[in-house]
Amino acid sequence: MSHRPDVELRLPAESAYVAVLRMTTAGLAARLDFTLDDIEDLRMAVGEACALVLDSAEPGGDLHAAFDLSDGTIRVSVSADSRGGSEPDMDSFGWQVLTALTSEVETSREGQLRWVSFTVRSSIAV
Amino acid sequence: MPLPGASPDRRRTPSESRQATRELSHALFTELAAPTTSATRRVSCREDLVRLHLPLVDHCARRFMNRGEPLEDLVQVGTIGLIKSVDRFDTGRGVEFSTYATPTIIGEIKRYFRDKGWAIRVPRRLQELRMSIASVTGEMSQDLGRSPTPREIAEKLGVTVEDVMDGIESANAYSTLSLDAGETNEEGTGNSILDQLGVDDEGLAHVEIRESIKPLIEALPAREKRILLLRFFRGMTQSQIAEEIGVSQMHVSRLLNRTLEQLRSSLREVS
Repeated sequence: MSHRPDVELRLPAESAYVAVLRMTTAGLAARLDFTLDDIEDLRMAVGEACALVLDSAEPGGDLHAAFDLSDGTIRVSVSADSRGGSEPDMDSFGWQVLTALTSEVETSREGQLRWVSFTVRSSIAV
Repeated sequence: MPLPGASPDRRRTPSESRQATRELSHALFTELAAPTTSATRRVSCREDLVRLHLPLVDHCARRFMNRGEPLEDLVQVGTIGLIKSVDRFDTGRGVEFSTYATPTIIGEIKRYFRDKGWAIRVPRRLQELRMSIASVTGEMSQDLGRSPTPREIAEKLGVTVEDVMDGIESANAYSTLSLDAGETNEEGTGNSILDQLGVDDEGLAHVEIRESIKPLIEALPAREKRILLLRFFRGMTQSQIAEEIGVSQMHVSRLLNRTLEQLRSSLREVS
């Protein structure tokens, strides 16, 4: 399996653009035949993941989203350049929501880049 | 203008009270129509008539409760219908004013739902699509035992998957029932949805909530709190929650997203 994401999106690192990302994610999930409940979970998860990375994002920077699409599965990574070196707070409400909604939630920093990724599976995937 | 010898409201039976309203209404309309009545007096007759019939507006507005708009807003637009009715009413027609005014008031409220219930002006086509999606989603969830996919909905409605996604997206533009728009019953105390929910839920009593977010969750209105707990601590899907509390999945979606948004900003303020 290649690690090349199927869809990439670069947006200004501002919360106003999160809605665009949520919408895009919903569109991709619809293409993969996710149920409405799955899609809702995805949208919420994207919102929370973005909130986590934007929390410490460099003003004027980019918010980067990558989607790995396969049958019945979508893996989303969102990242942004961050100020300061704090790790996403795993006790935070956002993190709890994210882990409740999705699986394989990961977060890390690569240099300045702070990213959060997670996987959502269609509930009717074979 | 109190009628001579009229007993205070609380001592009247409802039918006596209705009778008194009818008589007062009739007297005011007669005075309003009389050519000898002064302009100043006419203005005050009109005001008295509107005030007298406000309970009718309230009654009409309540029929539209729990449909996503705060009751006060519905009363407000219904009152416009009432004012129009007072201005157009012709005593010579021989019908009761309430009979004449009710359709106008209800028409005004319906128009409000059609045109003003949207935070963003959404084309009629999308509004209708959204309603069709909401209704087939409920049915299909029953039949399938899970929520349908956009493609399944599209096939059922004979539209494209893109149309379905547009419709779902437009649902987010529909203004949410404001979080403080609690329902009120006759006595003016909260009831309805909240009462139906039942605040004490055995399953939820055992839920462990992190200390940090506890006060924030506690501060949420009962319905939002319950939806949040059902979703995240009980693991129920939005469709299941919708079924449990008797609203549409789209409504659950809006409430949930809004609650999360609120919690996020409260948490930001705290830290």
